[in-house]
Amino acid sequence: MSSTKIHSLPAAPALPAALASLDALVHSAQDALVRDRSGARKVGYLCNYTPIELLDAAGVLHARLFKGGDTARAAAGEFYTQSVFCDFTKSCIGAFEQGDPLYKAFDKVYSFHTCATMKRAAEVIELFTPTRLLNVPKLRKHDDSRRFFREEVLSFRDDLAALTGNAPVSADALSAAIRERNALRRLLRQISELRRRALPPLSGRQFADIARAYYYVPPALLRPALEEILAAAGATGGAGAAAAGATPIRLLAAGSIIADGDRRILEIVEEELGARIVIEDNCAGARPFHSLVREDGDPFAALADGYLDQSPCARQRPFEDALEFSARLAEQYAVEGVLYVFLKFCACYGVVQKQFIERFNAAGLPVLALSSDYSESDRGQLLTRIEAFIEVLREKRLFAPPPAEPETAGTAANRI
Amino acid sequence: MQHHALDITTATRWDYAPLRPVIGLDIGSRGSKGILLRGDDVFTAFVATGLYMQETADELLASLLAQSGETLDAVGFITGTGYGRISLKYETTPYKVVTEISCHAMGAHAALPETRTIIDIGGQDSKAIKIDPATGKVIEFVMNDKCAAGTGRFLEKAAVLLGIELDELGPVALEAKNPAPVSSQCVVFAESEMISLRARGERNHDLEARANIAAGVHYSAARRVKNLLGRIGIQPGLAFTGGVSNNPGMWRVLEELLGAQFQRPKLDLIYAGALGAAIYAARALATEAPALRAGL
Repeated sequence: MSSTKIHSLPAAPALPAALASLDALVHSAQDALVRDRSGARKVGYLCNYTPIELLDAAGVLHARLFKGGDTARAAAGEFYTQSVFCDFTKSCIGAFEQGDPLYKAFDKVYSFHTCATMKRAAEVIELFTPTRLLNVPKLRKHDDSRRFFREEVLSFRDDLAALTGNAPVSADALSAAIRERNALRRLLRQISELRRRALPPLSGRQFADIARAYYYVPPALLRPALEEILAAAGATGGAGAAAAGATPIRLLAAGSIIADGDRRILEIVEEELGARIVIEDNCAGARPFHSLVREDGDPFAALADGYLDQSPCARQRPFEDALEFSARLAEQYAVEGVLYVFLKFCACYGVVQKQFIERFNAAGLPVLALSSDYSESDRGQLLTRIEAFIEVLREKRLFAPPPAEPETAGTAANRI
Repeated sequence: MQHHALDITTATRWDYAPLRPVIGLDIGSRGSKGILLRGDDVFTAFVATGLYMQETADELLASLLAQSGETLDAVGFITGTGYGRISLKYETTPYKVVTEISCHAMGAHAALPETRTIIDIGGQDSKAIKIDPATGKVIEFVMNDKCAAGTGRFLEKAAVLLGIELDELGPVALEAKNPAPVSSQCVVFAESEMISLRARGERNHDLEARANIAAGVHYSAARRVKNLLGRIGIQPGLAFTGGVSNNPGMWRVLEELLGAQFQRPKLDLIYAGALGAAIYAARALATEAPALRAGL
């Protein structure tokens, strides 16, 4: 009688090595930004709606304000906010308050206005570092929005020129940067898609750690590292591996940001309970790599359109886009359940959980909604909830075996 | 305590007799419960949870073994659940962990087979669980956030403030003529609200004021639980489980607010989690430990 235990793959030696060297790159890139004395300007930015191709092309060193998961850092930020700010925005502020070397190194911070809380956070950050607010239209489909956002993109370009003292980024330089970022997005998407296999060669946590590199490591260094990971992960497992043992429960993690360092839920789901997050619909996972920026025509218009049309944050309208995108990912990655994870007090994802849950339920997918923060005190409760949810999904699998796994399902069914 | 299985269920038959004695341990944040199943016999034990979960579990185990005259070697499987489930370790007896959500579902199903909706209020959290009445399996559940509003801890705190024992709180609340408005859902704020309510109470009406405050506290906790239930809906076949389920005040206030009656169980449903755990242990013995069966 086969046990229900998840058989882990014999790790291909190339993959751990490739992941370790990417991790080293992430650290050295941050270190290089902190230590750089070349005179290059250093820029931090807040959201995924920041068209970083312009940062690449302007020759600035840059990184996303992306760190989270630390209780003390969030608490340091709360000194400036009310308690009803999410722990991520508190952490962005807290890192400045605590004098994090990376954050302290920035000459300027750019905040493309996404949610109200982030905008407020940027206004507090201004106490520490010069900050520029730019607008992102919510109404994607309006022509006015596109024209306006192109203007914002140009304004961003000019602000960078003033910051660096160089001529504004040219159309050619921007086009080159767009192609470079698109290449990275393609690679990241290909890496993510390896997780569509019945036995995913990468865990959700590993993918999250790969994705974060996009926000720290310069494209020229990142590309070969991603190619190496793609090759190594692609060679792991294979068709025979799925038949070797029971496959893990497959989950979509949808919702708000799971920041760099916020690994608590991923750890509980994957390391403690043996399930797998095979795809994310959040701005720290695979979502931002799903769409590309047009490579022809006016690159400034292409950049504006590309960012407005990217797989949407719940703050964008029409909101239906976000629901549809999430449901499509769930289907493509053949997930069995959804973890709807949102930071407590999240102004975007906290208030649309009902719509998301209904949309997933309509697709036959059970959803566990988890409101989370960076404290440790509720770890036991989170474990209980997630564990019970996975028990429900295992139970469900016994009665409705996924078509991809006839052999495993057969064994399971015989067992009852 | 020893029961015959048919004395703890409203069903007319008992389908859970294990191949060998099995044990379910529910290590809660405040109280720990244990059940030993042997044939059609059901043994129950309760101890307050200590600082060390393993010691608490061992106490339960010792009580169950003493009551049944069994030895640990004779026990075929142990299932742990509850807050302390992770901390337990048994060298020689097969052991597994099942969450209290699944265990409460199974326990309520075994004791009250018509159950479709469960309210479980424990020491530090409350849950609403929707179950499949055919199998006792969980369909959907919601759990309160990490604060203690609407949990046993909230009531415990209230009892201390009123200067009475926790098990008196419910009966005292039932005497209330005019429940006090306790609007705060937060234990800390409710505490200051209660202090000012007490301060306002006239001296010679102290007992009356106490009853009114106790009732107000129950309503405050119950409203919280009602909201939770609103998220999964109420289907008839309502069961109330967990440590707070033997509080008659909460029982009545919840029935009033929900406009629905709980089914009357024959077993004190603070044991629902332990019973469910024992049933999962019996199943695990039958399916996951074939080698042990072969050794019989």
